[in-house]
Amino acid sequence: MTVRKLALSDQLLGAVLCVGYVMVLVWTAPDLAMSRDESFYAHAAKDYGAWVAEFLRDPGSALSREHIDRAWGYNWEHPAWMKLTFAWSWLAHQKLGIFSSESLAFRFPGMLAAGLLLWLIYAWGAVTMGRRGALFAALAFALLPRVFYHSHLAAFDVPIAFLITLTGYAYWRTLSDRGWALFAGLAFGLALATKHNSWMLPGIFLVHYLWVRRQYALANRLDRPTLSWLPSMLVLGPIVLIATWPWVWHDTWSRLLAYAQFHVRHVHYTYEYLGLSYFEPPFPMSVPFVMILFTVPLTTAILAIIGLVYRRAALAPPWRTQRGDATDTKADVLWVGCMLAPLLAIALPSSPIFGGTKHWITAYPFLALFAGWGFVAVIDRATGELWTERRWPTWALAALCLTPGLVQTAHSHPFGLSHYTPIAGGVPGAADLGMNRQFWGFTTGSLADWLTESLPDGGSVWTCDTTWGAWRMMQADGRLPDNIRPARSMAQADFVLVHHEPHFNEVDFQAWMAFDDVQPVHVLSYDGVPIISVYAGQTEAAGR
Amino acid sequence: MADPGRKSSLAAWVWVLVAVVAIFELIAHPVIRAGVPNGDSWEGATAFVRERFEPTDRVVAAPRWVDPIVRSYLGDLLSPRSASVSDLAGVRRVWEVGIRGATSRSEPPALEESFGGVRVRMWPVLTDEVLFDFVEKIDRAEVDVLTKEGPRLCPWTRAKVEGGGLGHGPLPPPERFVCDPARPWLWVGATVMADLDLEPRRCVWQHPAGREPVRATFRDVPLGDQLVVQGGLDYNNERSVGDIPVRLRVFIGDRLAGEMRHQDRDGWTRLEIDTARLDGTTHEVRIETTAARPHARTFCWSASTRHAQGEP
Repeated sequence: MTVRKLALSDQLLGAVLCVGYVMVLVWTAPDLAMSRDESFYAHAAKDYGAWVAEFLRDPGSALSREHIDRAWGYNWEHPAWMKLTFAWSWLAHQKLGIFSSESLAFRFPGMLAAGLLLWLIYAWGAVTMGRRGALFAALAFALLPRVFYHSHLAAFDVPIAFLITLTGYAYWRTLSDRGWALFAGLAFGLALATKHNSWMLPGIFLVHYLWVRRQYALANRLDRPTLSWLPSMLVLGPIVLIATWPWVWHDTWSRLLAYAQFHVRHVHYTYEYLGLSYFEPPFPMSVPFVMILFTVPLTTAILAIIGLVYRRAALAPPWRTQRGDATDTKADVLWVGCMLAPLLAIALPSSPIFGGTKHWITAYPFLALFAGWGFVAVIDRATGELWTERRWPTWALAALCLTPGLVQTAHSHPFGLSHYTPIAGGVPGAADLGMNRQFWGFTTGSLADWLTESLPDGGSVWTCDTTWGAWRMMQADGRLPDNIRPARSMAQADFVLVHHEPHFNEVDFQAWMAFDDVQPVHVLSYDGVPIISVYAGQTEAAGR
Repeated sequence: MADPGRKSSLAAWVWVLVAVVAIFELIAHPVIRAGVPNGDSWEGATAFVRERFEPTDRVVAAPRWVDPIVRSYLGDLLSPRSASVSDLAGVRRVWEVGIRGATSRSEPPALEESFGGVRVRMWPVLTDEVLFDFVEKIDRAEVDVLTKEGPRLCPWTRAKVEGGGLGHGPLPPPERFVCDPARPWLWVGATVMADLDLEPRRCVWQHPAGREPVRATFRDVPLGDQLVVQGGLDYNNERSVGDIPVRLRVFIGDRLAGEMRHQDRDGWTRLEIDTARLDGTTHEVRIETTAARPHARTFCWSASTRHAQGEP
């Protein structure tokens, strides 16, 4: 593989991708109510922001154990980096009013991470496969419906995908230029400080390094790759993790251990897959692979497979290397490692049950990069043999291949987690197959107008899977009036919401009992599939 | 384009495969969306059912996931009872409102009409005749806890219904027998519970108090040739393996007529008691629940006396 040098025009194109994607995310974000987890992180960010303000005012007091524990004890199960960025963004919004809504202030850092990830995919693609494949890969990634949903959020999934890809890129550059080692360590530190998906990176890099090193040795090359990334990551990684996370400044070891144990012994979520609600292991090993098939546009998935086949020579094991062979730092091998590791981690029968595609979202930048290679493979052959000297067929094919993703992503909004691709039969086909319908309660945002119209004088709503924090954020954003308040008890509410997932059937039946009525007054559906049922209390029902 | 005299390789034509996949996706997407029935189809289909509906009919949705939409149109014809029965006993006709060709029964229907993408089918069914439904008559029962000091009556109480939420178990009805206000789970009344399969079950919540039986006594119960009892735990507790079994005992008069020993993961289970010998008579029937340790024994049962005629 010839490694291209990035030109200024490459960086400009990457920047355009980044800014363009962030603009689309900002534009479409008001359609999405905050998800359950976002509401927790926004709460944490407010606590952390208050502590940062105190630190700037009175560092001695802020650094006391009591103050640290009070501010950083909430949501201790995740490291602080992204929540700190949410806090800074929110503080900036408080001072300068730079965002159109409070939720956008919290979400902007995550959106920026999504934009930067597109830039990075383009850049890494451009140095390895050239501009056409790189641009295709970045756009293919942007047009993954689930990625598009998660890119809006004040959460860690897209940021960790960005930081893992960034760490991978920095590590890969370090192999041939030790000047990148410091950057690799810092990037790894930020990844560690963002989410525990990063724990697997040293293992992936070590396997890749030994692979490349062996290949260089067999090829009898003298310019062997440097190991300088390893001490940099081992030293800088933990330093950045701890430096950005005041919670572990006291009782460091016991708190880090508690953090690790929380994730190693994570509770099992209930997740519907192919007609069964799984609540305990073993979760079928097929889950991540079937979910990719059902949620990634098929054209992108097929191109990724073509890309893998096209690059098979570059993926040949090191023992097949002959003395004098040309060899390189094997970006393809690293990409396969970064793509497969999260899928295999989730597929392990002993892994806690998660299910949501966000748990292996770090694989998608690499899947998109292979789709870029697939596109290069297809057009290289066709350009060489079928449409020589003409460029428009290449652009037309690129547009054709990206349009399914564009159409599906546009249609997935604002029901991102309920969307399934045509190979699953779309949303109703997935319902027939018994696939997970949604989680996190964010779909309540799609009911905001209906609730506002139905309760002109205000009232109360039992919010089901939507947290009160998410509800209050809709009010702060002006999407719901303040006089429609969340109800603590179903039977006393004017409306009861039921988010449809099989394990929420219990809540459906509770609503029947609360009002002695099985008739929803409204069913929010997506492509004919029920997403939320709304039941009316006695007063509301009488008024209808 | 390429030189017409030049032979191109098979690999050069992979773009056609990729283009076909992309075109398939682009065509399939609107086709799938076009197949979604609109409001008019639902209105037409459910109006058709409404005009012909009788109180002994049952309405089901096919596939099951469309049930909330069917209930949003026809829910006023249903009740928590009819939407969550354990079997078809007492039902004369089954109406099915379905989409996407799904069906809940294999035999051909007696009637079928289509309204856009919504299909209505109807089957007359021969089912058991229900003589006495214990769940619907729970307010007529006498409920007590048999302690060492003797029976302690649980008064029929009207109380505020509080709570709701994932993992909270079934919601109590506003009127119920309250056995011990200090133990808020120790009440007896009709509710709807999610069983192990997350199906709705209309049933009498009768959480055991421990080894001391919680007893619901019904007087003058008309008996047929069968007394059918079904029961189980709330799905949250049913899933936890290793807890103490629940014992349900049915007495007709003072005689033990049947017993169910319910283990975790048994799911919604059925006990059939042959009462053919007592057919046509009325008796006192007492249903008792016990468990060596009452923790999380969220037991709920349904029962009826019947004349067996066809499918249950």
